[in-house]
Order: sequence, then structure tokens, then C-alpha cells
Amino acid sequence: MNLDMALQTFLGESRELLTDLEDGLLGLSGDAAADAERINAIFRAAHTIKGSAGLFGLDAVVAFTHIVESVLDRVRAGDCTIDEALRTLLLSCRDHIAELIDACAAGAPPAALLERSAALGTQLQSRLATPAVVQAAAQQIEPRAIATTTDGHWHVSVRFGSEVLRNGMDPLAMLRYLGTLGTIEHVATLTDAVPPLAELDAERCYLGYEVTLRSNADATAIADAFEFVREDSLVRVLAPDCGSDAYLSLIRELPEADDRLGAILLAAGVLSPAELDAGLTRQRQLDTTEVPGHQPLGHILVAEQGVSPAAVNAALEQQSRARGSEHRQIRIGADKLDELIDLVGELVIASAATSLRATHSRDAELIESTQALGALVELIRDSALNLRTVPIGETFSRFRRVVHDLSRELGKDIELVLNGEDTELDKSIVERLADPLTHLVRNAIDHGIEPVEARLARGKPARGTVMLNARHDSGSIVIEVQDDGNGLDAERIAAKARERGLLRADQTPSEQDIFQLIFEPGFSTANAVTNLSGRGVGMDVVKRAIEALRGTVEMSSQAGAGTCCSIRLPLTLAIIDGFLVGVGDGTYVIPLDQMVECVELGGSQASEARRNGYINLRGRVLPLLHLHEHFAADGARERRENLVVVNHAGQQAGLVVDRLIGEFQTVIKPLGRLFAAASCFSGATILGSGAVALILDIPGLLAQSSGAGERAAA
Amino acid sequence: MALPAYQPADALQEGQQYLTFSAGGETFALGILHIKEIIEYSRVTRVPMMPGFIVGVLNLRGRVVPVIDLAARLGREASQVHKRSCIVIVEIDDAEDGQRRDLGLLVDGVSAVLEIPEVEPPPSFGARVRTDFIRGMGKLDEHFVVILEPACVLSVEEMAQLARLADQRPALPQLPDAR
Repeated sequence: MNLDMALQTFLGESRELLTDLEDGLLGLSGDAAADAERINAIFRAAHTIKGSAGLFGLDAVVAFTHIVESVLDRVRAGDCTIDEALRTLLLSCRDHIAELIDACAAGAPPAALLERSAALGTQLQSRLATPAVVQAAAQQIEPRAIATTTDGHWHVSVRFGSEVLRNGMDPLAMLRYLGTLGTIEHVATLTDAVPPLAELDAERCYLGYEVTLRSNADATAIADAFEFVREDSLVRVLAPDCGSDAYLSLIRELPEADDRLGAILLAAGVLSPAELDAGLTRQRQLDTTEVPGHQPLGHILVAEQGVSPAAVNAALEQQSRARGSEHRQIRIGADKLDELIDLVGELVIASAATSLRATHSRDAELIESTQALGALVELIRDSALNLRTVPIGETFSRFRRVVHDLSRELGKDIELVLNGEDTELDKSIVERLADPLTHLVRNAIDHGIEPVEARLARGKPARGTVMLNARHDSGSIVIEVQDDGNGLDAERIAAKARERGLLRADQTPSEQDIFQLIFEPGFSTANAVTNLSGRGVGMDVVKRAIEALRGTVEMSSQAGAGTCCSIRLPLTLAIIDGFLVGVGDGTYVIPLDQMVECVELGGSQASEARRNGYINLRGRVLPLLHLHEHFAADGARERRENLVVVNHAGQQAGLVVDRLIGEFQTVIKPLGRLFAAASCFSGATILGSGAVALILDIPGLLAQSSGAGERAAA
Repeated sequence: MALPAYQPADALQEGQQYLTFSAGGETFALGILHIKEIIEYSRVTRVPMMPGFIVGVLNLRGRVVPVIDLAARLGREASQVHKRSCIVIVEIDDAEDGQRRDLGLLVDGVSAVLEIPEVEPPPSFGARVRTDFIRGMGKLDEHFVVILEPACVLSVEEMAQLARLADQRPALPQLPDAR
């Protein structure tokens, strides 16, 4: 890996860490146990950024982050609590670190940035130099949780992982830190793993230590000294008075020869020669007679009554949590992934062509094997597309910051509630969703939620709520931005629309249709903002962004009770399950997830359908669209037509087609800008025969035909 | 199925070699550097509700490429497809996003690749083709051939605009007695 690539990785990682840091800061809730965890995460993030920045020689970042880290360290130690002012300060520090990293990576940071470093640094320093009296008082009120066990001899065994030095960690610093927890009475350095000089890699760490520590700290505090190397190093902490068996199992667990470790422990004075001999013999017997393998360390500790079972459980839980939060991930470039998805798309097309040929050949065995192949291709397609999906939660949580900053700015008290953060969707959609969502959230805060006095006067809680919801719904994903604020005033919007010529004086649309008007470009002027309590600022931009993702956006509102903007998006932009239908001599694809059922239109029903433009489907009126006429298709109409019932956003309609062909895995190919106006087609695909088929855009088609219906009626 | 793409034999300057072809009974020329390949007419999928000059879309080795009827685009009658009909695949720059796009041109037949040493400026009026569509008049023996300006004739911007107008025509009423 060359340095440039490494730097890119560092930039990516530090962005993620800064996001973690922000999430942590905004997530602090006042619940001591949960907050301690968050503060640790915040500290870890800052520490890692400092370490990695040091590797790249980004000194400005290191210097600044160091101050932040020092403050966080004091918070971690309980010397200082994060109040609102400090949180805001730390958030601006976070932003500053982000800027610094970008600037340093691009070259030398500009002087203005460094000045800002100094200014923020001074503010942070003032936090560091809290007067001693206050500190002492704080300590009296909140005694440090560490002092639980009595003074005793702890035994710490560490085998550092080989990558420790490369990761920017310093074993010596950790031992020094250990020294601050108590008195180090004995240290044995294990150099057994050091290879001959010729094979020695100066950047690898080969060292291990056996340390005897006299301290009154608890096991977690001591183990935490090695927090940053826990992943790839072997760290064992034995409590004072834990009994000889614990030591014996430790001896067996460590990589070095038993006798050698025994000698070290003897030298450290934790075991007597007799105990060692007896223990080793006993354990050998245990091994041969009872259980193969070792008794877990925890059991021994509990059996010897050195530690309470609760303490062991707590330690284990913490360990598993630390491990669980480390996502096992591989970083790959987005272009590589896109290439893979493209290839899978070609594979899907080729496989469709093969199965078509196989069906024509009437060779049963060939058909069977192409079917098996097809099933596999489908699985590959699904998992390839899955690679690109990410939970929406990452996008949602960035709004914590938006809400935090804006509510401070506007002096409103607003809570952000997130639902369905686990809902997954295509990464390329997520990226293009951030801007429109930000717009909607800002709108909700700025114009939706009323000032506190107004809320109280209306009998609402003083604290306003903005909700972000995500969920799956019949093959699409629905994202809602909801607030419990003012609501939209349909009257005023209609009046404004008439004034702007968007609505004729004699038109009286439904409330729902009026709300849709705020997405019209005419509403996005400054004048409209003030007159209309601001709703509609650039809402046309939001609508366009969503439509570019083949999605739809809808407003609903109840005056005085709140507004909800729901965005409906397709799950993926690349491949869908489709259903092929024939209209005239053309073939079209209907997205399968929007299909409800297929019905054959028999003789009398067909003529009724043609006469009325709707049919009675099991007691419900189903509006129809005759595609043959709508598309002015060439070719004769079939005698027996078929009806495909489609569903979009709760609205059902029937498409009358000439032929039903069957399911088809559809690789979406964009139609290009030339066909931007063709709102009833969302793209094209290539059939097994090599011909191109158009993919019907159901919402576009329905909107078009209902528009045509209104025109015809007018 | 596809004829081999025309490869300029050696480093040729744009403006020296041209492909001549016929469309709507007239001969036109296009600078060879815009042309990627010439393929036989194969099945083109019609896109409904598009203006007449947009024939449809075509599968070009896995990519969906729009096909334009050149004669109709130049204001002539729509081409009838016959045995000599060809689709000339040209590469054009999309002015908006700066990307290169392929576009198929349906023509009545391709004639030759010629060197046209003398190019006159387009006449200010009198030509049966919109003036901005003409890059120049190429002198061939005793007569002139219209050299097309692909940036204008095949402007995605303008054609998309026309398509938008076509799409907004009210759809035909669906009652049977109305037709």
C-alpha cells in the first residue's frame, strides 16, 4: 500500500470516527452508565485520530486533537462533566478537526485555520484548568468508582500484538499508565518472541510483559490501560488473592513454556515453589482424568472466591460489547462495487437469453440445468445488490447535529426521534437523499415547530418533536419527516397559488392536492416564505431530487397538529423483478412489486371496461388504462385482453394489456436525457432475445392518465 | 451483424474526411471523427409518445442507444426502412453534463468516405436545412454537399425539449366512440 492510498484510508476512517464522536456527544443522555460508555467511545475516537494523524505527520491535527483528548480524558476520569456549553464547544472542535484533517491532507493548513485552532485550544485549556477547589468538591460528591477492592498484588500479563507499533501505540506508555494506578513492584520483560536479527522487522512488536502491580484499582480499570491494544494483544489480569489455580491456568494459556513462566512468577513472588509444583501436577491430572482442555479462567476465579460472580459477568459483558461494536468490515472502492453490479447485470441478461434458448430447444435436461443456473444467478444478484445497501440510520443520525444546532440557534426546544434506522437501502440512493432530507428537517424545525410560548398556549408540550421514520412498504422504502408543529394552512396555500397563477379562481382542489402545490417551483420565492409561514422554501428542489431517484414525495398535514412529508423510494436503482407484458407488437416491463394480480378480461367484461373506463373488481371500482390506445401501439389488438392490477401508494389501477408474458429479472438501463420527458417509462432493459423493452413507471403512468382524464372531463 | 467500425487509417485532422450518406433523398456529410460505427438496421424498440423523429431505442452490445430519424429531424418526411437502411452510431458531447453519449442515426444508406479539401461557409439563407445545422458546404466535383453540424443537429438539449412538448399533448380520449 503506498502512502497516498493509506492517506485515503485515513481520511475515510477519520471521517467515520468524527461521526462516532459527534454521535457520542449528541447521544449523552444523563444516564451515568450509558454515558460512561459513550464518553469512552468519544475518547477512543479522538485518541485514534490523533494516533493516525501522527503517522502521517499531520502535526496541526495532532496538536489540536491532543488538547481535545486531554479534556476528554478528564471527563473520562470523572474530573469534569460534559454540560451543554462543553458539548457545543466539543462539537465545534469536532468540526474543526474535520477541517484541519482535510486541509492538512491537501497540503499546509491555511493560517486562519491554525488561528482557530489556537482560539478553540484556549477555550479548551480553560476547561482543563478548573480550579482545584471545584475539582476537589466534585470528587467528594462523586467518589471515583474505581476504589472498590482493597490494596493488593495484581498480576498483569501482556503479550503485545505484532501490529501494535504500527498502529501508533506505545507499549511503554501503557506500562507508565499502569504505574499511575498503583505501584509497579516487579516487571519481567519477555523477549522470547524476538526473532534472530536477520528476520527482525523493526516495525513489529515482539514484546511481552509480566507485571506485578500493587494497586487498589479494580480489574476493569487495570485492563483498560490496554484498551487500545486489546483487539490484537493478549492481556490477562489476575486479581490479588485469586488463588494458585488462576496462576496455573494463566501459565498454560500463555504462549511461553510453562516452566519459564513458573520461574517468572516465582521471581515475582506471587507463587511459592511448593504451590507451583503442586499446582502443575494437579492440573496435569485434571487434564487427563476429567476435562480435556482448560477450565475457563472465570470459573477458577469464582471457585477460588477471589472475585464475585457478578464481577466476572460484568467484565465478560463489557468484553463482548467491545467486540460487538467493532464491525468486521472490508473497505472496497465504490467503483469496484459498481463494476461488479454491472457485470452481474450482464450475467442476468445472458442467463435470461440462455434460458430462452433452452426453452426453445425443448431439451428437458438443458432446461433443468438452466433453471438451476438461473436460481443461482438470482441469488448472486441479490447478494451483489445487498453489498450496496446500507442502513439509513447513518444518514438519520447526522440530523441529531442539525436539530441540536438549529434548535439552539432558534431558541426552540426540539427533540429528534428516529424510527426504523435499520431499514436498508441502496448506498447511491442514501447519498443523494441527504440534501432533500436536510431541507425537510430544517423546514420542520424552522417553520413547522412553533416557539415555546405558542406551543404552551395551544396546550402542547413545550418541547417540540421532529420524527424521522423509515420503513419498507411493498417493494419501496418510505421515509417520513414528521413534526408536531403548526401544520399547513390549506386556505393560505390555495390563496397564494391563485395569486401566483398556479390555480385558476374556479378550481377547488382537495386539501391533499393543495398541499402538493407547495412543491411547485412558483412557491419557492422569498415572498412566499414570509407570507406562508415559510413552508415551501425550495420544496421544488426536494421534489426534483426525489423524482430523480424514481421516488415520489407527498405532504399531509393537520392544521395546528403537525405536518408529515413522506418520501417513497425504490429499493435499488440497478435491478428489479419485472413482469413482461405485450402491448401491440411491443413488450413492456411492469415492476413486479407494484403488481397486485392479473385478471383475464372476458367478453362482456371487456366491452364494459371499454365503455366505462373502469370495471367492478370484487365490488370495488378499478380505473383502467388501455395501454394499446395510450401508447398508440402498432399491431392488432388481441381478442382476449388481460388486466394487470397495479398498486402505488395505496392507489390501485388496472392496466389493460394484450398479452401476459411472464416474470423477468430486469436490469435497469437508463434511457438518457433524450427521454427525460417520457414520465411513464423509468428505464429500459434488454430481453433475452436482444431486443429492448421499456420499463413502465407506474406512478408516472397513473399521474399521466389521471391528468388526461381531467382534461377530457373539462 | 455489425460492420466493422470505420477506423481512421492514420492521424487525420477533423474536416478532412467525411462520411457521406443519403437521407430523405438528399446527400449529407458528417465529419468522420464523430462516427463510431455503422450497423445494419435492426429492430428498434419504439418509445411511445415521442415526436416522430425519435425512432426508438436499440441494444448496442448491452447498452441502450436512442435512434434518431435524420430525415425527420431535418424536417423531411419520416424515413421508410428498406434493405439499404443503416444506422450510423455517432458520439456526441452532452452540453449539460459534459459526458459523451452514443446516438444512432437512421439513414437511407451510406455512400462513401471522402476527403473534402474545400469547405465553403454555409449560405445565409436559401438552403433547405436550418442554417445552424450546417457546418459548411463541401465542394465535390461540381456540386456541394451539406456538411452537418452534429452539435446542433443532434443537440440532446433541443431534442429533449421537443420530446417534452410532444409528451404534453393531451392523451387521446379512451372512449371507443370518440375514435
